[in-house]
Amino acid sequence: MPKKFRFQILAAVLFTFLFQAFIIPGFAQTPSQGAKQEAKPNAPKVFMKSSLDSAALRKDIAYVQYVEGEAEAQILVEITSQKTDHGEEFTIALTGRREFSGVDNLLRYTADPSQKPEDVQKGLINVLKMGLLRYVSKTPVADRVNIAFLDQVKPTSVIDQWDFWVFSFNVDTFIEAEASYKMQELDGSFSANRVTPEWKIRFSLSASHYKNCYSYSDSDGNSYSYESVSDSRYLNGLVVKSLDDHWSIGTTLAASSSTYTNIDLKMSLAPAIEYDLFPYSESTKKQLRFMYYLGLDSMKYRLETIYDKMKEILVKEGLSVTLELKQPWGTISSTLAGSHYFSDLKFNRIDLSTEISFRIIKGLNLNVYGSGSRIHDQLYLQKGELTKEEVLLQRRQLETTFNYYFSIGLSYTFGSTSSNVVNPRFGSSSTIRVTS
Amino acid sequence: MKITQSRFALLILAFFLFVGSAFSQSAQADIETLKKSAPKVFIDCGWCDIEYIKTEITFVNYVRDRKEAEVHILITTQATGSGGVEYTLAFSGQNGFSDLDDTLKYFSKTTDTDDETRKGLVKTIKMGLMAYVAKTPIASRIAVSYTEEQGLQAVADKWKSWVFSLSANGYFYGEKSYRYQSITGNFSANRVTPDIKIKLGLSANYYYSRYDYSGEIIDNDRESYSFSGLVVKSLDEHWSVGGFLNASSSTYSNIQLNVSPAPAVEFDVFPYSQSTRRQLRFLYWAAFSMTRYRQETIYFKTQENLLKESLAISLTVKEKWGSISAQLTGSHYFHDFSKNYLDLNATIQFNILKGLNASVYAGGSRIHDQLALVKGDLTLEDVILQRRQLETSYSYYLMFGLSYTFGSIYTNVVNPRFGSSTGSSGIIIIN
Repeated sequence: MPKKFRFQILAAVLFTFLFQAFIIPGFAQTPSQGAKQEAKPNAPKVFMKSSLDSAALRKDIAYVQYVEGEAEAQILVEITSQKTDHGEEFTIALTGRREFSGVDNLLRYTADPSQKPEDVQKGLINVLKMGLLRYVSKTPVADRVNIAFLDQVKPTSVIDQWDFWVFSFNVDTFIEAEASYKMQELDGSFSANRVTPEWKIRFSLSASHYKNCYSYSDSDGNSYSYESVSDSRYLNGLVVKSLDDHWSIGTTLAASSSTYTNIDLKMSLAPAIEYDLFPYSESTKKQLRFMYYLGLDSMKYRLETIYDKMKEILVKEGLSVTLELKQPWGTISSTLAGSHYFSDLKFNRIDLSTEISFRIIKGLNLNVYGSGSRIHDQLYLQKGELTKEEVLLQRRQLETTFNYYFSIGLSYTFGSTSSNVVNPRFGSSSTIRVTS
Repeated sequence: MKITQSRFALLILAFFLFVGSAFSQSAQADIETLKKSAPKVFIDCGWCDIEYIKTEITFVNYVRDRKEAEVHILITTQATGSGGVEYTLAFSGQNGFSDLDDTLKYFSKTTDTDDETRKGLVKTIKMGLMAYVAKTPIASRIAVSYTEEQGLQAVADKWKSWVFSLSANGYFYGEKSYRYQSITGNFSANRVTPDIKIKLGLSANYYYSRYDYSGEIIDNDRESYSFSGLVVKSLDEHWSVGGFLNASSSTYSNIQLNVSPAPAVEFDVFPYSQSTRRQLRFLYWAAFSMTRYRQETIYFKTQENLLKESLAISLTVKEKWGSISAQLTGSHYFHDFSKNYLDLNATIQFNILKGLNASVYAGGSRIHDQLALVKGDLTLEDVILQRRQLETSYSYYLMFGLSYTFGSIYTNVVNPRFGSSTGSSGIIIIN
């Protein structure tokens, strides 16, 4: 390394070191943010102007402080009432003061003439409870407040003129280029879905066109260019009927065409049945689903296959097991699937894929994902040699008996955890563009 | 303490049982009617666990279009100093709840798992919804309880806001005639306070791929190492000063070692405190770039020390109608002004009218500063396997997407049968 250059690096490193060692500690005295003090003194101060029993209030709404004077209050609550034909109508006026100034709300509660006075009081307190949460939510007291809904209600209890049908159209284009490379993509899709707890109906149509082109020339004037095109079209349909909290039956219907897999037209129909060991209602926390299907595939190939076929009709069956857990310690998502054709049992495949995110101890996280497949059912491979470009640019699926991928990541974080500071200055990246 | 607490909980329970039974004759029967008049909510959050939110909060109705909603919840995020995430939940009332707006914040820690984060977010959403729910009849079926203080005191931060993180990742892919591997390692030390931001990072990457083309083996590897350092001092709500120190080495870019210290200054047109919703930042830096090349460059250099300057303008806006994010960057070397670079990129998402959404994602660069290009010819494999950077004077990309959705506005239902309801319908593996 030349002496001059080495000196400059040394100087730069020294500069940073000095900067950190002497200048930064000067700033280190800033009080730490987000440190929470004891919560109750932080609870909002409320001044009540009402005839409500104050002992009942203190007991039922314990997440605020009640003050005697209006002057020190952060929230003023005034309850007034008016007799109407339907009973007594109460108006609860909440007015924010000091840091809550401008945060006001007007709530109403109507008491039935047949209600006992203590029930009216409880009803009023319940409305007030909710009204006060708006202020409480901005204080540390909020951490100990719990909100629950007392009923089970069907998600379909709404007035819906479309009867839960949703339709969607999509178009996307993508173009990318530089001097020796160009790429274009065009995608379109349509979908119609109806999802209710009893039925799930999904239907979609999509088409995509992809073209790319490489060109360059060397110093001798020899130029080279390569262009490739990929087309695919899909139709997918799914109908599922819920039987009970563990069982479902349904069918898929699919049609597709793809240059990558040498398929001119593939149509398939596959009735299926599924069992979830856990109730479906717990699906966002845990699922262990077993699915069996019996499928009929009708294939038409673009080019003759390695088995000398231009078209064929095949029957296959498949079983898959899926485990999904999302728990406080982490997340697991894993699927094992196997299938075979009936025409020749040696045409089969097994796939296993797993994703795990696990907190070993506080600060130490393990992320693993991976998949492995044993593949003996590439009936669609085209006969003959592929070009070097088709291979290197992954334009055609290659013959293989296996594929796998595996990723593992470990991260350990330590140090301050109480800093909730957001500092957007200079953006989120700490690098500058020094070379192209 | 324990006894009073459990007694308190019992009292609460007794109270709700009582309230419940008082309402049960009339309310239980028409809970379905109450649900019909519950607030209509639109959750504007691309990465939230929406299915979980819908299964945990069932006392409102969810709609798929913001214009149908009575409550629009816009959730934006920013990284916090300790490596966690600050979630800003902007509740805005409309269609009958107009003028009832609120903003709440939720902080997740870097050590929190997905489940802990989604639980905390659900709690914050519930809290914010109360102001709207309280105005509808379904309010009578909500129970609010409170657990008394345990007397826990927050501990002083002995780390003085410093956060350290170590991580290593490996990725391996294989099939009969193709193999791919990548290994990366990172270390970072950050200290973020409102007054100063220090970010130091070290990373190493290695990548290998191998093709077997009818017996001919074509393989390829790339490696890169980098150090990045940033120190920013806050001056006021609009101005900041600081500096970058970057060092890197890369086979792809033909760089043996580059070291670049760069003092910098930034101005934000909007106050930094609004950064989660809007930013318009002008960042200027001047760098002294010292480089040693791996192979002689097209300009016959094996090493050089150059001075350059750069200006970057970044705009970020996130509103109910959509979002805009755009960046314009320009730089040039002082020894030769023709060695310059200009780049513009933008992402726009826009809800044009009910059901109709457009997105544009575009960028273009004018590149006249590829000082590191290797002299001599490249092979076919160098080009298509992207082993080496190629000479170009421009690059651009453009994506345009349009989607139109109509039909039912409600999205209350979560139906996990035959796989996730958000996924595609292709449940059977197409080979």
